[in-house]
Amino acid sequence: MGAHDLWLLSPQLAMAALACTALVVDLATGRSKLVLWLSLIGLVIPAALSIALWAANPADTLVFFGAASVDRFSLFFTLLFTGVAAAVIVSAEKYASRFQEQRGEFVGLILASTTGMMLLASANELITIYVSLELTALPVAALLAFLREDRSAEAGMKFLILSGVSSALLLYGLVFIFGFTGTTRLDEIFARIGDLQASGGFDSTVPFGSYGLLLGIALAISGFAFKLAAAPFQMWVPDAYEGGPTPVVAFLSVASKAAGFAVVLRILYSAFGSPELAVEWSALFAVLAVVTMTLGNLMALPQKNVKRLLGYSTISQAGFMLIGLAAVSANTSAGSLVAGPQSVVFYLAGYAFTNLAVFLGVIAITNRTNDNTIAGFAGMGRRAPVTALLLAIGLISLLGLPPTVGFMSKIFVFNAAVNSGLAWLALAGVLNSVISAYYYLRVIRAMYMEAPTSDERITLDPSLGVATGIAAFGAVLFGVAPWFLLRAAEIAVRSLSGVAGS
Amino acid sequence: MTEALAWLIILLPLASFVAVALVIRPFFNRWSIAAGWVTIAAIAGSFVLSLVAAAAVFNDGSIAYPSRQWIAAPGLVIPFGILLDPLTAVMLVVASGVSLLVQIYSQGYMRGDRGYARYFAYMSLFTASMLGLVLARSIVQMFFFWELVGLCSYLLIGFWFTRPAAAAAAKKAFLVTRLGDFGFLLAVLYLFFQGGELLDVPTLYEAIHAGLIATSVATWIGLGIFAGAVGKSAQFPLHTWLPDAMEGPTPVSALIHAATMVAAGVFLVARFFPLIELSGTTMDVIALIGGFTAVFAASMGLVANDIKRVMAYSTVSQLGYMMLALGVGAYIPAIFHLFTHAWFKALLFLSAGSVNHAAGTFDMRYMGGLRKYMPATYAVMIIGGLSLAGIFPLAGFWSKDEVLVGALENGSPVGIMTFLLGLIAVLMTAFYMFRAVFMTFHGSWRGGADAEAAANASAHPAPQAAGGHAGDGHGDGHGDGHGDEHGSHGGVHLAESPLVMVLPMGILAAAAIFAGILVNPPTALGPIEKHFFGEYAAHNKPVFPTHEDAVRAGAEPHFNLVIALASTALAVAGIGLAYTFYGRGQASVSLPAPLAKVHRVLTRKYYFDELYERVLVNNLFYRRFSAAFEWIDTNWIDGFNYRVTLWTERSGRALTHLQNGQIQAYGTAIALGVLLTLAAYFVWGA
Amino acid sequence: MNLENVLLVSAVIFGIGLFGVLTRRNVIVVLMSIELMFNAVNLAAIAFARFTVPYSLAGGPVSVTSDAVRQVLTGQAFAVFVIGVAAAEVTLGLALAMAIFRRRETVEVTDLTTARG
Repeated sequence: MGAHDLWLLSPQLAMAALACTALVVDLATGRSKLVLWLSLIGLVIPAALSIALWAANPADTLVFFGAASVDRFSLFFTLLFTGVAAAVIVSAEKYASRFQEQRGEFVGLILASTTGMMLLASANELITIYVSLELTALPVAALLAFLREDRSAEAGMKFLILSGVSSALLLYGLVFIFGFTGTTRLDEIFARIGDLQASGGFDSTVPFGSYGLLLGIALAISGFAFKLAAAPFQMWVPDAYEGGPTPVVAFLSVASKAAGFAVVLRILYSAFGSPELAVEWSALFAVLAVVTMTLGNLMALPQKNVKRLLGYSTISQAGFMLIGLAAVSANTSAGSLVAGPQSVVFYLAGYAFTNLAVFLGVIAITNRTNDNTIAGFAGMGRRAPVTALLLAIGLISLLGLPPTVGFMSKIFVFNAAVNSGLAWLALAGVLNSVISAYYYLRVIRAMYMEAPTSDERITLDPSLGVATGIAAFGAVLFGVAPWFLLRAAEIAVRSLSGVAGS
Repeated sequence: MTEALAWLIILLPLASFVAVALVIRPFFNRWSIAAGWVTIAAIAGSFVLSLVAAAAVFNDGSIAYPSRQWIAAPGLVIPFGILLDPLTAVMLVVASGVSLLVQIYSQGYMRGDRGYARYFAYMSLFTASMLGLVLARSIVQMFFFWELVGLCSYLLIGFWFTRPAAAAAAKKAFLVTRLGDFGFLLAVLYLFFQGGELLDVPTLYEAIHAGLIATSVATWIGLGIFAGAVGKSAQFPLHTWLPDAMEGPTPVSALIHAATMVAAGVFLVARFFPLIELSGTTMDVIALIGGFTAVFAASMGLVANDIKRVMAYSTVSQLGYMMLALGVGAYIPAIFHLFTHAWFKALLFLSAGSVNHAAGTFDMRYMGGLRKYMPATYAVMIIGGLSLAGIFPLAGFWSKDEVLVGALENGSPVGIMTFLLGLIAVLMTAFYMFRAVFMTFHGSWRGGADAEAAANASAHPAPQAAGGHAGDGHGDGHGDGHGDEHGSHGGVHLAESPLVMVLPMGILAAAAIFAGILVNPPTALGPIEKHFFGEYAAHNKPVFPTHEDAVRAGAEPHFNLVIALASTALAVAGIGLAYTFYGRGQASVSLPAPLAKVHRVLTRKYYFDELYERVLVNNLFYRRFSAAFEWIDTNWIDGFNYRVTLWTERSGRALTHLQNGQIQAYGTAIALGVLLTLAAYFVWGA
Repeated sequence: MNLENVLLVSAVIFGIGLFGVLTRRNVIVVLMSIELMFNAVNLAAIAFARFTVPYSLAGGPVSVTSDAVRQVLTGQAFAVFVIGVAAAEVTLGLALAMAIFRRRETVEVTDLTTARG
């Protein structure tokens, strides 16, 4: 432990400090606008530190006796979370008036949760993973209950209880993994499993080689599946999305999910990346992927509330990402192991831009109309032309049409699946994309083909407009020119020990 | 020429599109005149660079700039890059040159239109996508720009989208070409599954010359590519969209017909020529469809009364010539004909636009006698017409002659057949072209738009809205739906067009005269070498590894005096016939019959074509076919669709009942999920 | 007393907790049940630390090494962290329960069904 550890962990530390500063400034001055802009400017620090660390690429990435690993994989997500946090804070500028005197706490809690996500993406040890996970979840539960509405408190409570149950399952799984391998460090777990396999300690007739490990991994994956919004652990999603404040929902849908996938990728590849185990969990994710995207899509069809619709959309998108987790090539010839995780990381980054464009667009419109139903978006193409256009770009990207990043993401995920011998999974994905067109296009149709309910123009606030514009621009840019993001995703994924080893 | 400069050829018009669409139109639409200048400057830049590129190709032959990776995921590599070979160079010069002149002309033609900036934004994008298509090194890149060309043409044909006819024509163009594109897409996919690296054109050429592509594979891919070309180049049976596409502004028609959209089809076949050549079947199909289209379209041109429709049928017919030439292996004459045709067809369209500027209508029955009022337009139209008819020594003569020689020298039955079809088309071409010239310029003035409006009013008692010149859907000027902000075109305005319109026509007229003899002379002319164009096109090692290959593809066409005389005689005969019937500017409706016999044949021909267009194409093809389609659609696809939709929606609705809002139900789902996972591992695991 | 017995007790407690979460209507009791699940996990963690040294679950070598000591300490640290985090979770849960009670005069989870479908 020393200066090197602090340097490596500086983005997370800066973010934690920023969260504390936001709370203290709020307490001291009570001026929420000041807190908001101060935090926005402050977010530059963790972002700059992450970029500096990415550029420096230190050889020794382990922090605090291996509790965390600040490699390029974690830095990729650190940057992503910082950006999402900035967008969410900007989006709450007007919306936060509904939080009354708690506007300052809103910023503080978002930043606290972001700190948790940043730690989660770099955590390399089971206890750290658990603590970071709770650090991301608890502020979100509080934030979901921020509105003075029945649904909001209800959303917070549902999230908290179900998150508690799944945490308990996850913990039970983690304890079994610990008990079986005798360590909580992911790299050591990988090594011990390797030793056991070499010494014949594995029973090839049992899944994962032993019942202890089977129980541990299955329970842990179930616990994480709650975060990823994978079926059947996804049922909290629509209710929480409908009730919670829209900026928090955006945060939950983009950042929280990305954090979940980041930690799952790291655990799977760093600890359980050996080919014998990979075959086992890959099958589980393939099934989860199909069930998740199908359920999400089918249940989205009859929805009338846009936020609820986006909840189901989030579930179906998670299904597509799970395809990338399932895509573990059985043959470990050069590079083939990269495709799956690379496609997931690319999908997550593209999805962040896409979904932020959608959520920020929805916030920009509902801030004025206060109407979350799809019918409330009728004629927005005329009432709010710029916002409607940006929102439509986001929806088209969610649907996965060129030239948006959503299209590229799906191409890469399906390509990874086909290359791993899971062509049926890719086919299921294509079918699901077709179904999803129905409900995404319904919102676009409402905006452009239906008569507006009022002639009042809805102007776009400059700050929110810039944030939405950046998100939509990113969604198109990485659809037209994906190579930069794709390369970054590849570099990030290759820094995971399990992937690089192949 | 550095790669950056080559990219600049595409990026300049693209930048002007971005500048016009995202800056000038939304924020400075009051000074929309700037849109025209920005576009002209950008395309002029592209034109200069295209000339530089053509010179570079002259020195270095085919230049393949490095292939870059657009997508490089494991197992999925999609390249992009620039391929600058003689074919590209010719297309670059033609596309940017014609586009430049059309933009200058549009400054005058579109003045005062409310969509002025939008027009130039589309035009920039259209030009950029065409240039991108011809410069593409990778086939995926080609397909992307190919679709972009289709999209832009949709936007431009439907430019006056408030007019139902324009919107319908745009939709028709988009959908019909999409049919062909489907074939192209299948071909690309088939090629991809033959090997991902074949998506790179130079690699594909190497594979072909190394004999790595089987004939059957080449046949299917070739037919798929040709299907795409049939759609874009409006060949039979997908020709129906092009005449309707006249709904767009006339300069757009000029660009579509001369240099961009329809030329794209010929370009595509030429680009894949080495592959297509592998399969005799594909070649024969291309030659026969091309030859048939040449005659078929020309026959419809004989009787059209709308001057732009005459030109449209003429374009389809001339493209048939190019396809015919490619099909009989005369690659270089095909490109040469594309090159000369671009200039004189652009000229003819701009002349038609100029005529419309004066007469306010496109319907030749209401024109006549315009020679007096617009001598310059008359002169250039005659030049364009002579060039199109193939009269010595104008540009069209040389290229058409080479095509005919190529067909005859092919020697096969298909070659002879297409040669005869080509000769028939020569006669028809001269006839319809000069029929149009005489109807428009000779005789006495028949009242233009005003007379047309009166005729329409008496035919349809219901008063016509907007300006009183709403004709038969395409003959009217523009701007019904735009009120009269486009007034200069609205009514009769008997005078020569402004200089900004005449000047580009003059330049094109010069090209229509000299683009043949000076570019590909049969013998050395001072500094110009013998067969300059042929040698230039042959200077393409990846396509023609040996010089013999190039000669077989028509690099050194023999000047066949018999053919030249025969085709000239036919052309002159066609002009003579046209003069006999229409020389005094008669409108077809009051056709006198001094030569009863020929007249009867022609009249029957007339009815045959009407029959063909109305009964066969409209009734049989559309009604029967669409009835059949509709039946399948409603009873099968739609019924199936309906059932599937209903089923999915129902299941969605049923599933949402599970979402009952109860925390404990959700918790139970989690617990069951864990148990199921474990159970599944116990049952199916290991 | 051996590892299997303790794990069994832990599993039973975990099951009781889960059952409570899924069946009890009072939010406070549900939160207590979640707490029970966490404590079952703690018990398992301590048991693994107390009864096993590296590898022994799978029948590997048994000896007192620094690794073994580390494992014992890790298991206990695990439990300490879980206790801490669980306390935070319950605090938040009680705060939310208070908020809901003030607005709606109910502490029953089955009443929280405004959002559904």
